[in-house]
Amino acid sequence: MRPYQQQYISNIEKILSLSDLSPESPENTLRFLEERKNKKQAIGELVRQNTSLLREELFPLLDDIISASQDSIDDLVSFSEALTPGARRLDNLLSYTIHNALLVYARHWNLRDMLIRELYNTAMDLFYLQSLIDSAAKNRYRWKMRMLFGEAASFIKVYDDIIRPEIRGYIHRSMGNLALGYTNDTDESTQKKMNAIRQSLRILTDPAYHEKTPSLPWSSFIYKSHQERTTSLSSLRSGSTDPLVIREVMESAEYVWNRQLENSQKTGKPLSNRWHMTYEVAQYHCGIYTLDYLLTCMEEMYMRRDTRDYTLEGIYNNIFIPSMYAEYLSHNSHYRNAKKEVLGHMYRMMLRYVRSVPADQVSVSLIRNLMNIFQTFIEYPDGVKQKDFLLQLVVCRMPEEFIYLQMTASVAEMLMKKVLESEPALLLGVLELDTTEQVLAAGDRLTRFAYESGMFHDIGQLNFTQMTSMATRSWLSEEKNLYQLHTKIGADILARCESTRLYADTAAGHHRHYNGQGGYPEDYSREGKPNQPVTDMVSLASFFVRLLDNNVDYTRSPLTLSQAMERVREESGRRFSPDLVRIFLTMETELADYLENGEAEACHLALQYLNQEE
Amino acid sequence: MNNRELAVRTWNTTALPVIVLEKAGGIYAPVFQNDAASALCPDGFLTDIMPEDMRQKLVSTELPTGQMETPLFLPIDTHVYSVVPFDWEDCRVCMLHDVSQYYQQTQQMINDAIMASQAKTTFLSEMSHDIRTPMGAIIGMTDIALMQEEMPARVRECLGKIKVASGHLMSLLNEVLDMSRIESGRILIQEEEVDMADLLHEILTVVRPQADAAHLRFTLQLGKMAEERLMADSVRLKQICLNLLSNAVKFTPEGGSVELSLAVTPADQSDRVHLHMQVKDTGIGMSPEFIQKVFVPFEREEKSTVNKIQGTGLGMAITKNLVDLMNGSITVESRPRQGTCFSVDIPFMACRDHYNVYQKALSGKRILLFDNDRERAASITDMLSRIGVVTDTAASAEQAVDYINDMAFSDEEYFAMLTSEKGDDVEILLFLPQIRQRMGADFPILLMSEHDWSQLEYVYTQAGVSSFIPLPLFSTRLSAGLYAFSPEGKREAREEKEQNLNFRGKRILLAEDNAINREIALELLGMMNLQIDTVENGQLAVERFRDTSPDYYDMILMDIQMPVMNGLEATRTIRSLPCSDAQDIPIVAMTANAFVEDVKNSLEAGMNAHIAKPLDMNQVHATLEMFLGRGRP
Repeated sequence: MRPYQQQYISNIEKILSLSDLSPESPENTLRFLEERKNKKQAIGELVRQNTSLLREELFPLLDDIISASQDSIDDLVSFSEALTPGARRLDNLLSYTIHNALLVYARHWNLRDMLIRELYNTAMDLFYLQSLIDSAAKNRYRWKMRMLFGEAASFIKVYDDIIRPEIRGYIHRSMGNLALGYTNDTDESTQKKMNAIRQSLRILTDPAYHEKTPSLPWSSFIYKSHQERTTSLSSLRSGSTDPLVIREVMESAEYVWNRQLENSQKTGKPLSNRWHMTYEVAQYHCGIYTLDYLLTCMEEMYMRRDTRDYTLEGIYNNIFIPSMYAEYLSHNSHYRNAKKEVLGHMYRMMLRYVRSVPADQVSVSLIRNLMNIFQTFIEYPDGVKQKDFLLQLVVCRMPEEFIYLQMTASVAEMLMKKVLESEPALLLGVLELDTTEQVLAAGDRLTRFAYESGMFHDIGQLNFTQMTSMATRSWLSEEKNLYQLHTKIGADILARCESTRLYADTAAGHHRHYNGQGGYPEDYSREGKPNQPVTDMVSLASFFVRLLDNNVDYTRSPLTLSQAMERVREESGRRFSPDLVRIFLTMETELADYLENGEAEACHLALQYLNQEE
Repeated sequence: MNNRELAVRTWNTTALPVIVLEKAGGIYAPVFQNDAASALCPDGFLTDIMPEDMRQKLVSTELPTGQMETPLFLPIDTHVYSVVPFDWEDCRVCMLHDVSQYYQQTQQMINDAIMASQAKTTFLSEMSHDIRTPMGAIIGMTDIALMQEEMPARVRECLGKIKVASGHLMSLLNEVLDMSRIESGRILIQEEEVDMADLLHEILTVVRPQADAAHLRFTLQLGKMAEERLMADSVRLKQICLNLLSNAVKFTPEGGSVELSLAVTPADQSDRVHLHMQVKDTGIGMSPEFIQKVFVPFEREEKSTVNKIQGTGLGMAITKNLVDLMNGSITVESRPRQGTCFSVDIPFMACRDHYNVYQKALSGKRILLFDNDRERAASITDMLSRIGVVTDTAASAEQAVDYINDMAFSDEEYFAMLTSEKGDDVEILLFLPQIRQRMGADFPILLMSEHDWSQLEYVYTQAGVSSFIPLPLFSTRLSAGLYAFSPEGKREAREEKEQNLNFRGKRILLAEDNAINREIALELLGMMNLQIDTVENGQLAVERFRDTSPDYYDMILMDIQMPVMNGLEATRTIRSLPCSDAQDIPIVAMTANAFVEDVKNSLEAGMNAHIAKPLDMNQVHATLEMFLGRGRP
């Protein structure tokens, strides 16, 4: 690797360790704030440094990749490997950018072996990018992933012309990974996934290929294909009853489990819960076990979890099992009630687990599993509420974000009070209040509504924890596009549960401009949303707070209060409602008062949450 | 028998009404009228019912000599009589001829002439205004631009406005000239093979933006196109369509709609088809009176709504004349405030279709169709199945990639990809480059679009598109588009190109002093199988021409700026040589000096034409063909 590449990797490691804000007790608020400020400065400096390393060294090379020297290409390959060590993704998008450039290089110079390898690598980067937005139900990268894996796999036609075994290996892996390009969301997609795996297994189990390339890890390839096939269990959980799918999933679950048993006997290592559970779930869907047996089995396995294991196995036991457990309960009202306490306990333990994950162990898998919880979250009247769960999650995984949310909520609350005082008619229709008298009588409810909308409006950011709390350079434009999905992801999460449904519209619309001509998402419409004035308040409050203290972009200098007020004024009628801006501009003194201690208060509250016993 | 009695006896039995007057007291007075005259005026003499000025003329002493200055017409009931007085002996006889029919015809002609004159006067005054308005803008904007020394943006803005005004002025003049050509019978219909798909596409690329700008809903109703390639004058046919459509857009207020319906009937035994076209709008409509005059030149309805709209009043007259020239018919139905519908019916000859050729080349081929318009995709699949092409339809990038992957693992391969501008899940300009990379540089990717290709070409070619097929889609056009990429189609194109470029056996003398330019010219001309001799200046050109036998060279290409002797002088010298072909050999100037003055100088020096440098292959080819004809095969 070149020195700048080594420097870049080393800076990432430093940023990750600085990002781990682990405050100790509520008494240490001032220390926490001081430490936060210092760390933010240090992170900002490293981010700037990394950005200029890329701008000055890497991007010029990528711009003219065709004329790059062989040494430069070799260094790029090493650099991209260092950016994605093992299952960790230190900078997945940068890795993708580099692999894409290498792909162009390989095509241009007609380097077949390199082309096959880079098709595979680029597609893998896309797979991780896609994982980031799976919870938004967006398939932005899926077709391209399939295109690249498909192209690499299509070299099977000239298999005999390819000499190097590792390149043949990429062909087999690509063929197997074609299945990653399909979801289990629909029967059609599941069918295609199963077809892809079937096709891959057909080649992988063909002795002719084993004979041609004996050095390849055939059994591992076959094992991985079976593993992938078991993921179609989720389609069975969603009610698919295709007998072929059931049979093949069962076959694969059994295959994987038998291999696990053999391996355990051979090495003496403990059995993986993950594959054991998969085997049991497959048996249940094949009609061998009852739901009662399955739930008991899950509970037993859950109890065997290691609460300090942050590997895939640990994430499976601590997060995936509870969310799968909830999913089975949600389909059966009897068990839903009967297992209320168990699920509540699992949720509380899960929070504790999430809180304990060190920053450098936060992975795409962890985030994906966390986001999956909300797909199946069950609220009980006297149980854990999604609302509290979300706040806990934010405060322990993104304390910075919590402080920002808390400040936004407070400013939105102040604005609501001011509107109630000066122009209550602006709130007609909100919470179905039809007259000014009703609005005035519901002052407390409205104030609370504004506050809580402020607290939850940006919850979709949880999905982008790595991008926001642990940004290691300035964002690339693709990251900005991805980040914009946080409005949809947040709105979807909030809309699913009773305790948070009211805030979904604010999450969806807080970045859309008042005049409908800017911001995002473009398809957000103000029409038919009686609570829009509250969304407008939160929109203004969050903009204002970010001007004073930007926790997404550490390289941006904070503005003074008067500068921030001026910026808000400039956006009147464009980004924000002119009525609200007018009222907001009269609040400068109150805002100044609040800001004196606002951050400390927010921080104190965060620490209280963090130290709260479940 | 006195004169009076003689007169009475002579005219008494005549069938024509006659009245006899006798001189008395210096004037003539009526003394007798025959039965035919009495039938017209039973209660007195005919002179009693004549207008005073007519009567005065008849009773005055002297009749004008020779033919009367103006004929005297006497209307009685529904008839008109010509009153012809003449002196007979001492009497004056007035004879009446019934000229009702003649009178009415003449009167109509007079009225027409008056109206035409009035219309022309109005037109001239309006044209004067219409021409002056854009001219004012052009002059004014030019002045403003000249004053902007340091503001290129402002100059650009001025030039933009000048361009718009010039365009308007140009179209005004074109219409006037067209009308004049039609009236003098100088427009000839030039038939050629016309692809209706291309024609319609060109029309839509003009009309759609007009309709959008006017906030109108534009719809196309494509009926059965039994034949898609017709022998027609595409320029004039397009003019007819555009005149009708532009008018509809012009006279339809915001929010209204314009509809174009088109159909071609199946060919009869003699390959004759009828093109039916209808342009319907929900515009301001026309009064029944104006409908009578809608095709009369220079006529515009007097309405406040119409007066605001620019126009010469020639469009419809031109349209009608063009339709007549094509032996077609045009009718109009309209009601004020309810809209107008023009219907046109024109007969054409259908062209021999190429279906068999396409089918032979394409049958069994498989293409990937990327289009999220399900209805259109189904129609394309149907069209292609008729020539044996199998279609896999993908509405999304995900589906398309699956098809491509499936194909990669099978023994088949796609012949081409046909793509629209939209997919369900992807931005097409991001998707196509991926397809291009995956499928390789030679894989045909054909874009279907209703937009003007010249506007899209750069972006889409960069994205990997190889060719363009206009929408709405016609099956012959689609098949021809795909056929061009088949081995047969490629061979045909190559042969055609070779044929076009073949000037085998022709010899050219090239006078050019610059070595690089000489090399470029040699390369370009060499591709056309020409034999080329080169010289470095005009003097050498003269000498070479003089020293070769007559008709040795078929043409001379002459640079203008050359040392020793320039091209103009060399040409003048060659023309003055006593050789037998000195006057006739085509000499073509080859120069970057493309000013009018330079062209004029070269023509005056005896050159026949002018080719601008840097050499444009098409222009060179056209010039060579003009002077050399086609070479030996």
